[in-house]
Amino acid sequence: MPRAGAVTVVALRLGLLAIALAVWEVAGRMVNPLLGVPPSAVLPSLRDLVLLRSYPDLPANLLLTVREIATAYLLAVAAGLGCGFMLGMHRLVGQAWGPMLAALYAVPAVVWYPSLMLFFGLDAASKISFGFLLGFFPIALAVLAGIRQVNPQLVVVARAYGAGTVTVFRRVMLPAMLFTLVGGLRTGLALCVIGVVVGEILGSKAGMGALINHAYGLLRTGDYVALVLVTLVLIVGSDVLASLLERRARRWTE
Amino acid sequence: MSARPELIAIEGVTKRYLTSSGPVEALHDVSLSVEEGAFCTLIGPSGCGKSTLLGMLGGLVTPDQGRLVVEGKPVTGPDPRRVATVFQEAGLFPWRTTLQNVEFGLELQGVPAERRRRTASDLLGPLGLSGFAEKYPRELSGGMKQRVAIGRALALDAKILLMDEPFGALDEQTRVLMGEWLLDIWRRTRKTVIFVTHSLHEALFLSTRIAVMTARPGRIKAALDLTMDYPRSMESSEMVALRAKLWSEIREESLRAMR
Repeated sequence: MPRAGAVTVVALRLGLLAIALAVWEVAGRMVNPLLGVPPSAVLPSLRDLVLLRSYPDLPANLLLTVREIATAYLLAVAAGLGCGFMLGMHRLVGQAWGPMLAALYAVPAVVWYPSLMLFFGLDAASKISFGFLLGFFPIALAVLAGIRQVNPQLVVVARAYGAGTVTVFRRVMLPAMLFTLVGGLRTGLALCVIGVVVGEILGSKAGMGALINHAYGLLRTGDYVALVLVTLVLIVGSDVLASLLERRARRWTE
Repeated sequence: MSARPELIAIEGVTKRYLTSSGPVEALHDVSLSVEEGAFCTLIGPSGCGKSTLLGMLGGLVTPDQGRLVVEGKPVTGPDPRRVATVFQEAGLFPWRTTLQNVEFGLELQGVPAERRRRTASDLLGPLGLSGFAEKYPRELSGGMKQRVAIGRALALDAKILLMDEPFGALDEQTRVLMGEWLLDIWRRTRKTVIFVTHSLHEALFLSTRIAVMTARPGRIKAALDLTMDYPRSMESSEMVALRAKLWSEIREESLRAMR
């Protein structure tokens, strides 16, 4: 993309942001301050939050949420890749269980959450298992879709040129399915984050979701918005991490 | 013909496939020998097992009966150091450049990067791909892609080149030009080529030997040796007569295959 185009894109992006903030400011001043606050009122709350005046335990809660997300994601990646490759590489297994996986994915995952809380309690385990449940499916299904996408002709070529199973997997299957796979890994991470945060909001004693619950429960709307903004940074940060992963994967297959 | 050593021996090979409508015999007791430096063409109706036979020589298909011997050793699996294959579909890796595609086989053999790069670069000139080293397959025409695939096979420097309808997907004009180009490459590299085609023109223009196969189950119906010099005139009386003879052999089998 030419340089001038990139500048225009950034300008348009900032422009929309400015308009959104302006609309929020105007609208925020018109509603009951217990229910909504303008950005100008959020700034002091954000300052208090970051300086640990309003919520001195913010770092511990933030760390807990990050740890829950990381654990849920690692489990989802391991199980998603394992399950996806198992179903994708064995025709019989895939035929038998593939459709069941897709059907389970169609169930709104939140219906499982009450059970997860009963089984795992109010602590981290129920959030991790919910994040895992949300993140697992897109990863497993991306692996399945990616394997279907590999042109069988390329596998034949590689075998004719002396590639064994491992080489075929590394040199042909992985690069051929890379974009689908990385797309799934990225979606999986986003859903893990959602799962953990939603889990915390639905019922928890600690974590960013618990703080958010606390703030809006007490109608501390400024603090509430500030906490949401911090969580947003966490989510955007995780997506940046995912894009780094994507770049690394591409370099690895080349 | 001169008494060149026999490089490939196909001895009584039979292959059956299981399909949903029962077992199908693709090849029945096929024997054929090819001497070193030959350009041997397999021609016959669709489904006569030409590709199966080529797959066996490449070690990708195992015969049910009989055996195949290359350079005195039975074929047990793919052996890219001795046998290189070009398929009908170019089968290039879309994430690799022209140069990287040509290097593929050498990479699998563990040839050091610098040496395989040099081998591949040296091939691009004769392939007519000099300015396209860093292009990806999607940026190349059909004829170019097939030349990259041929380059990938030539880079292995195997004695034997198997070509399974390599120009089948190209338009008529490109096909004729690619035939002329291949002839030139073959005469320079002195490879032994086993070539599968549906085209009488290609077979007569290129081959030192043409094996006509029967409709399924495939057998060798007739083998013609061609001694004319290259480049060949397709209008000479000898060629016209040969073409008529070849066509009558193939026509009979194609009619049987259609029934």
